[in-house]
Amino acid sequence: MDAVTYPKNEVIEFLNSTIIPVRIPSDAKPLADDFNLRWTPMLVVLDWNGKEHQRTVGFLPPEEFIPSVLLGIAKIHFDLDQFGDAIKIFENILSHHAGSSAAPEAVFLKGVCGYKNTHNPTPLKEAYEKLQASYPGSEWTKRALPYRLLP
Amino acid sequence: MAHTIQWEPDYGTALKKAQAEKKPILLDFFNPG
Repeated sequence: MDAVTYPKNEVIEFLNSTIIPVRIPSDAKPLADDFNLRWTPMLVVLDWNGKEHQRTVGFLPPEEFIPSVLLGIAKIHFDLDQFGDAIKIFENILSHHAGSSAAPEAVFLKGVCGYKNTHNPTPLKEAYEKLQASYPGSEWTKRALPYRLLP
Repeated sequence: MAHTIQWEPDYGTALKKAQAEKKPILLDFFNPG
């Protein structure tokens, strides 16, 4: 991460403007135990009250790092029932990072947000159709499979 | 904007800042070698 991802200007500007970045050595106690750290690098996205909403383990290249962190931030809003805010971030991921590993999950969760926001199942079916068309091999396409049967 | 990541080294300080600014936190656990 230090050699490849963190020196990139777009990563620097993204982190400094979007989130409060914290670096903690893996031997820091009790924090490493509090977060059940088992391997590094481990990246955890927390809300402003310190509640965890996403974690990743292992190296992320620059083109995966930003969409991964955006996905974590969107999950904060999703978990807080702030579906409109979550949808905006999912759409950002899909507009600017459509080829990233985070994109299929963003399609899936955007559909769920759309449903929870309106109680209309159409966004779920649209999510499946988008996943099937754009990410046919993704695990998220498999998870959305039942939505193909929705009216 | 500074061309380096403005890492906060202390979690407690970061949490107070996050609460004040209503901003999320990215916690990076790294191997100090």
